[in-house]
Formats: sequence, C-alpha cells, structure tokens
Amino acid sequence: MAPDRDGPPAWDAEVLGRVRHLHVTARVLTDALMMGVHRSRRVGQAIEFADYQEYAPGMDLRALDWKVLGRTDRRVVRRYETETELACTVVVDLSGDLATGAGAGTSLPALEGTKAGFAIRLAATLLYWFHRQGEPVGLTIVGGEGIDHPVLPVRGGRTHLQLAFLQLAKARPGGVADLGTQLADIGRRTRRRSWVGVITDGMEEPATWLPALRAFARRGADLRLVHLFDRAEMQLDVGRAAVFYSPEGGPALPLDPQGAQADFREIVAEYLEEVRRGVITVGGQYVQVATDEPLERVFRRLVHGGSRPVELP
Amino acid sequence: MSFSFLAPAALGLGALVAIPILAHLTRQRPTDRVAFGAMLLVQRLVKRLRRRRTIKDPLLLLLRVLALLAVVLAAAGPRLSWQGDVPDFGGSGRVVLVVDTSMSMALHDSGGTLLARAVAEARRWIQDAPDGARFGLVAYDATSRPLTPELTDDKGLVLGLLDELQPAIHPGDLRAALLDARRMLAGEPGEVVLFTDEAGPVMIPGAREELGRIVAAGSAVLPVPIHADPPRNVAVTAADYGDGLEGGTLTLRVVNHGPTAREVPCDVRLPDGAEIPVFVDAPPLSEAEVRLTVPREARGGVGQVRCEDDDLGLDNARWFHMPDVGASRVLVVDGAPGDTPTESEVYFLERALAPWGGVQTGVRPDVVSTQGLASTDLSEHRVVFLANVSDPRPVAPRLREFVRQGGSVVIGMGSNVTAERYNAAFGGVLPTPLRSPRALAALGEDPVPLSLPDVAHDLFEPFARGGRGAFRSVGAWRVMTLEPYTEGGDVTTLLRYATGVPALVDRSVGTGHVVLWTSTFDDAWTTFPLQSVYLPLMQRLVAWLGGAGHGAVQRVDALVGQQVTVSVPEGITELTALGPGGDSVRVVVSGDEGRLTVDAPGAYRVDVADGPPLAWVAANTDPIESDVRRYDSVARVEADLEPELFTRHQELAWPALWLALALALGGASLARRVPPVDPAAADDTPAAEEAA
Repeated sequence: MAPDRDGPPAWDAEVLGRVRHLHVTARVLTDALMMGVHRSRRVGQAIEFADYQEYAPGMDLRALDWKVLGRTDRRVVRRYETETELACTVVVDLSGDLATGAGAGTSLPALEGTKAGFAIRLAATLLYWFHRQGEPVGLTIVGGEGIDHPVLPVRGGRTHLQLAFLQLAKARPGGVADLGTQLADIGRRTRRRSWVGVITDGMEEPATWLPALRAFARRGADLRLVHLFDRAEMQLDVGRAAVFYSPEGGPALPLDPQGAQADFREIVAEYLEEVRRGVITVGGQYVQVATDEPLERVFRRLVHGGSRPVELP
Repeated sequence: MSFSFLAPAALGLGALVAIPILAHLTRQRPTDRVAFGAMLLVQRLVKRLRRRRTIKDPLLLLLRVLALLAVVLAAAGPRLSWQGDVPDFGGSGRVVLVVDTSMSMALHDSGGTLLARAVAEARRWIQDAPDGARFGLVAYDATSRPLTPELTDDKGLVLGLLDELQPAIHPGDLRAALLDARRMLAGEPGEVVLFTDEAGPVMIPGAREELGRIVAAGSAVLPVPIHADPPRNVAVTAADYGDGLEGGTLTLRVVNHGPTAREVPCDVRLPDGAEIPVFVDAPPLSEAEVRLTVPREARGGVGQVRCEDDDLGLDNARWFHMPDVGASRVLVVDGAPGDTPTESEVYFLERALAPWGGVQTGVRPDVVSTQGLASTDLSEHRVVFLANVSDPRPVAPRLREFVRQGGSVVIGMGSNVTAERYNAAFGGVLPTPLRSPRALAALGEDPVPLSLPDVAHDLFEPFARGGRGAFRSVGAWRVMTLEPYTEGGDVTTLLRYATGVPALVDRSVGTGHVVLWTSTFDDAWTTFPLQSVYLPLMQRLVAWLGGAGHGAVQRVDALVGQQVTVSVPEGITELTALGPGGDSVRVVVSGDEGRLTVDAPGAYRVDVADGPPLAWVAANTDPIESDVRRYDSVARVEADLEPELFTRHQELAWPALWLALALALGGASLARRVPPVDPAAADDTPAAEEAA
C-alpha cells in the first residue's frame, strides 16, 4: 500500500484521529501491562542506605564504614540507593520500505497493514509506557515524510509526549533511512546509561549499519533493536511473476517467485541471523517482530528481553 | 551394430527443434509491478539465481530440445541391429540334437568330461522344450549315428539315448552328422542344436558345405559350444625308430596343447619288454622332441610309449614299429672241427662273420658241433650255416621248421657231405637235390674262377660301388654238383663259376631261405676264404638272409577305426590276428590281400597258420583329435553363410518416447526449480519513477 506522497496538512482531522488513536492504544495497552512501578536503580552516592560491600584496595576510603571496622574489625564500605531518571529514546525507521506489508490489526488509518503503521503504534506505546513510569522520553524518526521535528530530545512532561505523538501521527513512510549514518549520530547524542529502542526493518545492507550500533554500547545504553518484518514478504508470498521494486528506489527486478522459495528462505534465514549476531555483538538485545503479532506480546518481549534465536518467519 | 529407421522421412520433423530454441530466445517478461519492502533480500536472491541460471538455463534448453528430438526419433521408427552369438532362430518345434562323441569330448574339465556336460546341456534343452516339440538325436565321431530314426515327441526315449552316449577314440565327422540331421528334418525347417567342443583344425571347415545346405533349407544350426577352460592336453603324436648310436634312436614327439608348460613322465616299452622311463618338458602350445637311445640288441616288433596326462587319457599311449636291433645271431654247425682251431672247417667262416667279436659287424656266430645242434634253440638265430656236416638228418625236421618260420639255412659242402643224406634230410626245401662232388681242376692247377655277380640282385647290391671284380679271384678246384633245375620262381642261381657250374643257389621257402654253397667254407676246395671278397660276402649274405627273413614281416601303421590291408603270400587262404588285449581279430582274406579293422589302439599281429608273423600293425588314435584347441566356430562359419540368421533387431520407438517423456518431465522439474524469468534482465528504473 503506497503512501500518499503529498501527506495530510498539520492538525488536519486525520492527523488528530491518529494522535487520538495512538494515545488510546498506548494507554490501554500500558494499563494492561502496568503490574508495578518501574524503578530505575543506580547505586551511587545518595542518602538512602542500600547495602554493604567488602572493601577492596582502590575503593574510595571515604566510603569505609569506620563504625563497623571498630566493632567487628571488618573493612566494608557502605552503599546507598538513589532514585534517578532513565532517559528513554525511541528510534523509528519510517523509510519507504516500511510502506509495504500485509500485517493485520494495526488499525492505524491510512497505514493499515503496513510495517510503518505497526512501527508507529509500537513507538507510541513505548513512549507512553516510559512516560507513565515517570521517565523522560525522546523520539527520533529516520526516513519518513511529513515530519516537523524528526528528532525530539529526551524530556519529561505531558506536553513533550503529546508532541512526540503528533510527530508519529504526522509521519508517512518514505525516503531512505540511511541507518548507518543516523544510528551513529543518535548513538553519539545518547545519554549514558539510557534506554534506546530502535524499530526498523533493517532493509539496508547490515554491514553498513550494524557497526553504528557500537556507539550505543560505548555510551552504556540499554539497546533494544526491534527487527520488524512482514511475514508475507519474508515468504516471498507474491504468487505470480512480476517486476519487483523498492519504494526507496533502486533497480526493479523481474522475478517468478515459483521455484525460488527455497533459496529465498535460505537467504532470509542468513539475513536474520546476520542481523541478530550483529546486535548481540554490540551488547544489544535483538527482538524479531512480525507485523501480524499482537502488540501486547511484542511489548512484553521488548520490555522483558529479546535476542532469542531467530525463528524463521 | 547398426542403426536404421523404418520411416526416415519423419526425421524432417526435426525442424521442430527450433521451437524451444526460439521460445528460449524470446522469453516473456512479466508485466505486473510489485512494490516490495524486502528488496535487499530479493537482490540477494537474484544474485544467487543468476549464478545458478548460467548453468541451468542451457541445461533446460538442452532438455527441451532433446525431448523434442526424442519424439521425432520415435516417429522415424529407429531400429538397432547387431550380430548375436547364435542364430536368432527357434520355435519351430522340430529339433535335432547333434552330440559330438569324438575323442576330444573325453577331455576332463571341472570334474567331468565334456561329453557329460554336453549331455547335461542336451537334457536341459529337452526338458525346457514346450509340449509338442519333436526331437531327433544324432551322435557322431568317426561316423554319424542317427539314434532316432525320425523326429519323435517321446522325450523319455531321447533322454534315455542321451544317457548311453560314451566318448569314442575317433575324430569327429561333423559333416556326416549334419547330413543325418538334415535328413531327419526331411526338408522342412527346423533347428539343429549342436553340442560340440569345436576342437581341432579340420572338423568345422569340413562341415561348411553341409552347414550351408541346412541354412539354405530354411533351418539353422544352433551351436552349444562345450569348451574346456582352458583346453589342455598332452599327447604323444609320433614315435619313430631310426639310425643312431648304440642300437639306434627312438624319436618321440610330445605335443602340449595347453597354455602352460608341462613336465610329463613317459614310459617307453620296447617290443622285448624293456622299459625306458623319460620325462618330457613340453612347452605350452608347442611340441617337444625327445630322442632315446635303443640298446644294442633289441627284438623287433611293436613298442609303446605312454605318457601320463589326466586331461585326456585316450591319447596318452602311442604304438610304434621297431626292427630287430643288434647282432644277428648266426648258428654255425662245424662238421669237421679238426684238432686245432685252424684245422676247423669253420675257422675262416667264424672270423669272416665276427672279425671283431661280432658286435660291431652286427653278426654274432654261435659255433656248435653236429651233435650240439640237436640241443640248440634255433629260435634265437636267424641263419644257420651247415659246414661240411656229414649227416643232417637228425636235425633236419627242426631245420625245415626253422626255414618255414622265416629262418635261413646255408649249406656248405666238403668231404663229409653225402648227397643222399642231404637229399633225404631236406628233400623239398633244397633248391635242387645234390648229385655228387666233382673236380673242376686238378690240384696244382689254377682253380676255376667265379663269374661276376649280378649287382642288380639285392645280395650283391653293395658290390656295385666296388669290389665286384674281386669275385674273379675266387676259384675252386672242386664242387658239389647239383641235379639239373629250372631257375625262376623260388630258385635262383646267385653265383656261377666261369664254366657255368652253379656256385651259390637260393631257394625261398615261405619267408625263409635254403642256400647251397657248392664248395667249402674253408680252403679245402676253393680259394674263397683266402680272398678279400670272402668277408664282405659272408657278412652281406647273413644280412640279406636275416633282413629278408624279417623284412618279410609287414609293418603297417594305422589309425583306430581304419581298415588295414596286408599282403598275403601265395597259397595262403587263412590268416589270424591278435589284437592289443590278446583277443582274436577277424581277418578277411581276398586273393592276395587280407583286411582287418583296428578298433582299438595298440599292437596287432597277423599270422599265417603255423607260421611266423606275417604283419605287425601299430594302431594309434588320430593326432588331430588330440588337438583340443578351437580353431574356428560353427557360429562363425554359419554367420559367414547367412549373416541374417545372427542379426538381432531392437525397435527403439517406445524407448524413444519414454525418453522424450523423461526429458520433458526433467525439463519441467528444472523449470519449476529455476524461475523462468531472467533475473539478469534488471530494470534499473528508480522505483519512484516506476510508480509514477
């Protein structure tokens, strides 16, 4: 389903409908998943005592508990617990390739069934989730069209969330993501020890963008890469000979899928494994998501961990 | 092997092969365009397929072209023809089984004889034959034997006849067997199934003409070769006595027909029973010659050579003729011994006969007195000299018998000889009765010389080269006169004196001789002992008489199965013969010929009743039959005569259709595995422009 090249005007009814839809979807899903308050723990110098730790040479002597030393002749240091903000950044790939797909249940007007629709809903839900946690959130959209602010820095507040929702609602898939450059740039700007979720179909040569993920690792970020795919595409389920072309441009290739399914399955498996290994190598978590999966299940996997072995679509 | 088409015009359809080629060249491009979000993966797929299609595309084209060509081929009716090993003939239901029972079929191979294998094969043919088939049976060796008078459907009868077959010791006459088989088919088409080892160089070429007649009659000979693998046989093919050191040389020739060298132990048994063992090294596929020295003295007759060979036992022995060898034993009866040796009547004679002791001259004289003659075994002697014996009557019967059995008596005169006694003693065997002594010249005068002998006579033949004139130096003063006689027939005057008085007269009695020397053996009446011709004439006389005596024995070589003819002396109407096992063999006498058939290898002796041996027959197997190698094959000859009989045909239309189907299916399968759209034909137009 090709996107509308012109795009809707700002604050038009469709955009507002999308914002509302995203808000509702995110809230309903978040409420359902909200089983407890997320508390980001970071051990450091604060007021509330956390625990003791055996002293080792090189530790700061100021933390040494002299009272304990006097009473028990043990050398321990005191550790404290403090509540802190977790900067959460969601990166969404809305390049032209995400305009395709036949996924079910996205219910996002004008993007029904596309990978872009699924990516936007997932991004909105993540933003809302972290906002409810009291965490500041940021949004970066790579590729895409009709976006006023492709990069929203990490901030707290409802207004900032609404702005992020507005960007997502206005966004249309298009253009080229140029993942390598974009991710490297985002990585450099990411706060230390922040949470970063990258939602992409990864349809660029992995060798060009997987190395860029090292920037997140260097910043100590908790990287979650959502590898989005459309099950029909991964099965080359076209059914007839045709000329295949990418919405992002490039050569159009005539091909009869009949007889090529086995080879295509091998190529898909090799590709998915290549991406998974690339993400794991840089310390990230890899979450493979089909667009026909229930959003709730995807969300649970995303929050609670990924990087499971690749399951062929 | 050849290839032909029943409808070659259909090959013109081969032009259709252009269809898949054109279709391949004008491949259809799809028109639908699909926006695809995973083009990265499609690009990788296309890259992989492009590599593979560089191989599979031509293969697909090839499969399609071949499938079409196979269809065209099937339409043209292809036919493959080749030559088979046996005639493609059968099913007539009229079968004549021809079984080779010649000697070579007795060859042992894998525990049994070739004939046993042939019989087993023939039994299988009969048992496998469909009901209603009619069989005839012909066995052949030297002759052909139709064992069933005509074709019969009684399988049991034919099987029973097969079981009775035994190998013969004769060569095989295949021509005669095929002739009988053709007669049994009575001019109608049928099959002649031939069980033979095809051995030897002559059997098959000799049957070529008859093979042609069978084929021309619309029948076929189906050879069932029964071969030993490899064919091996060692046979004695010749044993010949000849001159040489000692008592002569016996030359043996042993042929090894096998592919490996053999050391064969052989045993030579001379006629007198003496045995000479010898080992013969026979090289493969070749002949070995061995020479044996015969003892200085050996009795003549038929000897035997036997070599050990387990492959074919029937030709392990060979019989050969051998004359008497060594010194001729001569009995000299001294009628006037005298007081000293030099006074002996036979002093000169004894030395003339054995000047060096008798060995080197070949004559060994035994000198006895008149009384000693009675106790002497005359059978050991060939010639008896009576030298001035006064009264031979006591021994005359034995001497007459001696002469009738082939011996010779030479009678010398002297003062003791009385005509009446001799005439009474020898009666009818003397050349002519004696009359009385008579002086030819007075003592002191020159003796009457001998006339020159007729060197055309066998006795004097050696003197033709020289020494004939020496007879003139022999003279006599006194001789025994003889009653007038008529020359010719069995009486011959061998020498005369210059006055015409007979000096040496011979009479043949059967195979024996009675010779009168009308003078003395010493120098009492003649100068003969003192002359140079005395010694050679006496030696020659013994040789002539001995040789003539034994030369009368006919020596005949024959092959087993042959009819042998011997000359029969005048007046003889009945002959007897003894075979190798001592069994009597029938001899048919007709005029001056006697005929007998030698059915087994060995020595045969033909006798005149109460007489000496008339003939020795050495019967042997045919050496040709000992050659168990194949020189030719019936199938080859038959193929020469009628190649079409051996031609096999195979129609290939259906196989070609099946091949076309298989190729088409293979092409379809390949087409399914490889996308028919050429991924190389990429359209580089940007997607955005395409969408627009």
